[in-house]
Amino acid sequence: MKEIMAILPASVRSILTALPSAVREHLEEIRLRQNQPMEIRYGQQSSYVTPSGQLTANARQGWIFSEEQSVKLLNQVSHHSLYALEEELKRGYITVVGGHRIGIAGKVVLEKGEVKGIRDVTSFNIRIAREKKGAAHSVLPFLFENGRVHNTLIISPPQCGKTTLLRDIARSLSYGSEWSSSRKVGIVDERSELAGCLNGVPQRDVGPRTDVLDACPKAVGMMMLIRSMSPDVLIVDEIGRTEDGEAVWEAIHAGVAVICTAHGADVSEVAQRPTLGRLIQYGAFSRYIVLSRANGVGTVEAVYDGGLTRVEREKIAWLS
Amino acid sequence: MVKLIGAVLILFSASMVGWQIGRYYAFRPVQLRALLVALQMLETEIVYGLTPLHRAFVKIGHRVPAEVGRLFLTAAELLITERAQTAEEALQQAIGAHWPQTALRRQEREVLSSLGQVLGSSDREDQQKHLRLAVTHLRGLEEEARAEQGRYEKMYKSLGFLCGLLVVILMF
Repeated sequence: MKEIMAILPASVRSILTALPSAVREHLEEIRLRQNQPMEIRYGQQSSYVTPSGQLTANARQGWIFSEEQSVKLLNQVSHHSLYALEEELKRGYITVVGGHRIGIAGKVVLEKGEVKGIRDVTSFNIRIAREKKGAAHSVLPFLFENGRVHNTLIISPPQCGKTTLLRDIARSLSYGSEWSSSRKVGIVDERSELAGCLNGVPQRDVGPRTDVLDACPKAVGMMMLIRSMSPDVLIVDEIGRTEDGEAVWEAIHAGVAVICTAHGADVSEVAQRPTLGRLIQYGAFSRYIVLSRANGVGTVEAVYDGGLTRVEREKIAWLS
Repeated sequence: MVKLIGAVLILFSASMVGWQIGRYYAFRPVQLRALLVALQMLETEIVYGLTPLHRAFVKIGHRVPAEVGRLFLTAAELLITERAQTAEEALQQAIGAHWPQTALRRQEREVLSSLGQVLGSSDREDQQKHLRLAVTHLRGLEEEARAEQGRYEKMYKSLGFLCGLLVVILMF
């Protein structure tokens, strides 16, 4: 939160400090749109904010984010150096110190039909990163067998804590846990979400034995990491494209355990998708973790083994 | 005897005045060159290094002669401490603080100020264009300054001495 405050224009900063502390502590998003009232999202709710820091549902009472403010904010975020954010402007979001992410929208500039960047940035979505250490605690015991790490697919609908879980698994593997010794971990972080890198340095705690390839396409990145960093475990977010599937397949047969995620409600749904379906059919994964929001974000619905039978925790405990 | 000492003093001080004015003509091209080098380094930092402006300013400030370097160091400090809201403001304030101590003129100041208006506020290509434009401008000014130096530096130096001599002759 402190890092976020440092990059906000003074006016926004003072409004946020005036917010009730219960709201401020659960702040998830600050949404700023040029000439529109400031909106905040906290604990599943959203609300406008008046100039004095009161919450209101009435858009007319909200504090208006002016053009001048938006120029200032962009200046602060870019350290007065827009040219240094070319890649970020192309991707549509900027990672700042602390691993927080600022999504941006505005006028897109095209070059030869491809997005070259965003010129007049008018919408900002400041997403506050909160680390949930220990999210992987309940699934860790399922990930090991005879000292090997299972190739694991985490299946979850959007916003169910998939990335948080994956990050915590990476961290636990890297530090080592009561279930296993520590491992060399390689993360291919195509969208800078897992490690939240700034200038190549992870802003999130991903463990002491973790190497991160930031902003690298997954398929290429996995191969690069295997060749260059010899990881024991590869961590990748959101497998979907054909080349991703091939890279997972290659990695598994290069003696590297792969832990990755996919969007979906359950295994059978994911199995319908061409790339993942093939991986599942050929038995690439020996563990499936299905998440839902049933008991809040990050609920572990079920864990299956390679043959798609449910793995019970008691059985695992008995095995080990 | 007193008259002789007075004559020597007059001759000496008049020469010094002439020498000072002459030196100003010698300094301008040197500082212009430093400014040119600074802007070329800034281009490298921006276009190839993608270095944030404040860091680029500090780097450059330490590497060019102090008269010009101070401008960038002050601008960097203003940006880091957030006493300046924009890069333009920072550069303007730095120019305001340090320009009188340089041998540079209004034309150079205008080139730098107009560069300040766009610095950091667009993509690499655009930044490069503006920096190149400023460098071209400054090159022209540098040539002019060198020609002036050739013409006036010697002239003012001898003029000072000669004026002193004239006064001394009139005195006797």
